[in-house]
Amino acid sequence: MSFEPKLRAYTAPVFSVEVGSGERKLTLGGESVQPLCFFDKPDQPAPLIGVEVSDVGFEAEGLPELAAFYEGADTLAARAVKAASLPGASFVCLHFEGADPAGANKSVEDCVAEAKEAVAACPLPVVIAGCKNIEKDTALFTALAEALTGENLLFLSAREEDYKAMGAAVALAYGHKLGAESAVDINLAKQLNVVLTQLGVPSASIVMNLGAAAAGYGFEYVASTLDRVRSAALEQQDGMLRMPVVTIVSAEAWSVKEALVSEEDMPEWGPREQRGIQMEAVTAAACLASGSDAVILRHPVSVEKTAAFIAALM
Amino acid sequence: MPEITFQTGEGVTRIFAAPDETLLAAARKANVAIDAPCSGNGVCGKCRVCILSGETKAPAPKHLTKEEFEQGWRLACETTAQTDCVVDVPDIASAYRSRMKTADLSSGEELELFRSVGAALAEAGLGVDSGVSVIEVKMDEPVAGDGLPDNERLARAVQDALGIEDEPEIPLFCMVKLPALMRESGYRVKCVVRENGGRADILDVLPPDDDTPPAGLAVDIGTTTVAAVLCDLRDGGILAKASSGNGQIRYGADVINRIVEQGRPGGVARLQDAVIRETLIPVIEAVCAGSGVPAQRIYRVSLAGNTTMEHLLLGVCAEYLRTEPYVPAFFAAAPLDPAEIGVRLAPDCVMTLAPNIGSYVGGDITSGALASMIWDSDGPDMLIDLGTNGEIVFGGREFLMSCACSAGPAFEGGDISCGMRATDGAIEKASIDPESMEPIFGVIGDTAPVGVCGSGIIDVIAGLFECGIINGKGRFVRDGRRVVRDEFGAGYVLAFEDESGTGRRLILNETDIDSFIRAKGAVFSAIMTLISSLGFAASDLNRISVAGGIGSGINIANAIKIGMLPDLPLDRYRYIGNSSLTGMWAHLVSRPAAEKLAEISSAMTYIELSTEPGYMDAFVAACFLPHTDGSLFPSVQGGAK
Repeated sequence: MSFEPKLRAYTAPVFSVEVGSGERKLTLGGESVQPLCFFDKPDQPAPLIGVEVSDVGFEAEGLPELAAFYEGADTLAARAVKAASLPGASFVCLHFEGADPAGANKSVEDCVAEAKEAVAACPLPVVIAGCKNIEKDTALFTALAEALTGENLLFLSAREEDYKAMGAAVALAYGHKLGAESAVDINLAKQLNVVLTQLGVPSASIVMNLGAAAAGYGFEYVASTLDRVRSAALEQQDGMLRMPVVTIVSAEAWSVKEALVSEEDMPEWGPREQRGIQMEAVTAAACLASGSDAVILRHPVSVEKTAAFIAALM
Repeated sequence: MPEITFQTGEGVTRIFAAPDETLLAAARKANVAIDAPCSGNGVCGKCRVCILSGETKAPAPKHLTKEEFEQGWRLACETTAQTDCVVDVPDIASAYRSRMKTADLSSGEELELFRSVGAALAEAGLGVDSGVSVIEVKMDEPVAGDGLPDNERLARAVQDALGIEDEPEIPLFCMVKLPALMRESGYRVKCVVRENGGRADILDVLPPDDDTPPAGLAVDIGTTTVAAVLCDLRDGGILAKASSGNGQIRYGADVINRIVEQGRPGGVARLQDAVIRETLIPVIEAVCAGSGVPAQRIYRVSLAGNTTMEHLLLGVCAEYLRTEPYVPAFFAAAPLDPAEIGVRLAPDCVMTLAPNIGSYVGGDITSGALASMIWDSDGPDMLIDLGTNGEIVFGGREFLMSCACSAGPAFEGGDISCGMRATDGAIEKASIDPESMEPIFGVIGDTAPVGVCGSGIIDVIAGLFECGIINGKGRFVRDGRRVVRDEFGAGYVLAFEDESGTGRRLILNETDIDSFIRAKGAVFSAIMTLISSLGFAASDLNRISVAGGIGSGINIANAIKIGMLPDLPLDRYRYIGNSSLTGMWAHLVSRPAAEKLAEISSAMTYIELSTEPGYMDAFVAACFLPHTDGSLFPSVQGGAK
């Protein structure tokens, strides 16, 4: 007797969200199977990988491979083009960490000029990430959304504190897509989606950024949240949780001690760069297995490994 | 070391303060009363004082306007003295003490709650029967050959009159009165007796023309409010009712802060003094004045409180209530003479405390369960007591389950910047016009509003949500004349300077709304967790009794709109007022009801919510208007998926 697999496919898929315009376009979400369960239904969309590039450059110290990859790419646009050339990359994430008032505090005008240049040069669809400062992000995103009208970018992210201004400017006024950021809690995620849609932002313009943690750093909360959000979407068809999920893995993976401590301080741990790559790739795999539709990564080798991981399961 | 001079309405107090000691800490040391419901955490903004002279250090004013800050107003909990200071403590700081409310019994509204509980109990066979009666006995005058002493003469007369087997004992204080009383009245006296099987206790002897009713006192010691009724022990008739803020409030708004405070040196005595001398005794004086019955004619006291309140009332250390494994000193205290805790009533008065069943489900809930008649129903029914701790009882004749959730003092006006108890000047009803966004209020005492009580807050938040002024998160999303914004967030002006009774603007701000949403979320998630732990659904509920002293009643429809109570037909709900107090009244006037109370308390099962795996998730889901899962509130507009 042959084995008859019981297929578990759902009638109501995760919403599809289109990002980009013209030739540079991608679709987030749209699947109607549990994470990575491609065997349950044919022609399911694969999860996507985005590559993060920062407006303040890249870290060379202790990360020779990363430095070699971006060597000579002195502008955000040049780095975006480099990132887009990576096999397996589906989009590029421009991270404006230099806008942070507590850091370089770059002006909104400078950021807009850099973003315009990068968007024009980058052959892949573009996602914008802010500096986490509520006021600065609001001003920056509003200006970027206006300057890049028609590009249909994805902005990460609107939070409970600033969803109103972000939703009104980014999504309603200039027609971009918006990430709804919450802190690893299914209820808070849903509440933010409810207030955003009440504001008039269409569901098809919302992507969820549910927050993350590096593997081993309380990741069980992340896994449980991603898992329950996906189940609510597929099994209960909860319209307020059917948006696709984008997870920024890079910032989490590269901020834990395994990825930060130098080889001089911890010789028995081996080279720092390899540790960081492993942390980033492992966390990305865990997120994809739990329900992320896209992960944003920093290191070219992590991108390569993650792309291979997805391809092997397709 | 700076010297601080506190000026209060009661006089001047001086104390030396350590350089880093806050004005609030110094005031407590000096026994100067400053209202600090949040126990000095800079959250509630109620401990405002005015610096008349001297230099102080304080952070940016979060709860004060710039003008107020410039005028010298500070929060006592955030301010330290840098030099010698003179500090004016405003009268509102002692208001929690003076907020005594004597109920108006003439309208009959207040009495109706007791009458209906009495009728329901009588129908269940637990009618008024305290065993107390007043009998008049006529004795033969002693003559030569009949040398029976006064006490035996009276005891025999009482035995004959009642037809009982044993001669009653005459207590000492009665014997002291007897020689003069018998001879002046021609050997006719009135006796207050309490029959008890084949025996009788003599509670008092009185002249024959004394018509003062034999009184009993039922008391509810709430974390925020203390309420009492005085009644006639013969027929249960209510003679007077009064309530007051619990004087312990200045040591913290909730039981945890009180337990922390009682753990400090002298804390147990300080908290006992605050509830007895500052609160309970004035309440007793108020009911006595209201009824004309002197305190020494109060022969029985039935009292209920949550477990912490009962501990602190008796001066028993409550420390172990909040540390694992949460074991209290007692569930049921033995009946006691109230004089032992400094309450002087009739000399042989006996005080009985309602038994607790858990560290966080106290005698107030067993008492409320008795009054709600939940034990006599086919069920499943529910009793929801909206107090500082929300307590819920679920079940019927077959079983009773209970749980407690920490709702915080929001339902009683605490933790809300413009909140107050349900006394004169409190907004208790409200509606908001969807077009103009102007409010219409019902204010207790028909005065200008000075604050808002629990039932008013429910109405205001429901109105703001329904009119689209706030969103599901409680954030302001519409602008208008009454919506004000500053660096700390937005708020709704309930009353402008010229509309309020205090001359200050009354604003319900986003922080207040947050506090309230958390309180209602705690209650709703506790309800759902308790019901689902037994495999029931909210729609299975037959009858829901809502209790609590949050106003003269709550608008159930509005409570559903904001997702505080399950979305069920309104006719399944009823408001039963302070059920702890009505339960204690029943306990006082009916011996069968008192027995039933003991039975209920031994039969009730307690569920600890903090160990229920789904509770935290359910709580976060409920902290939204009406709920994150809109399908739970199909009748609420905007609530459906």
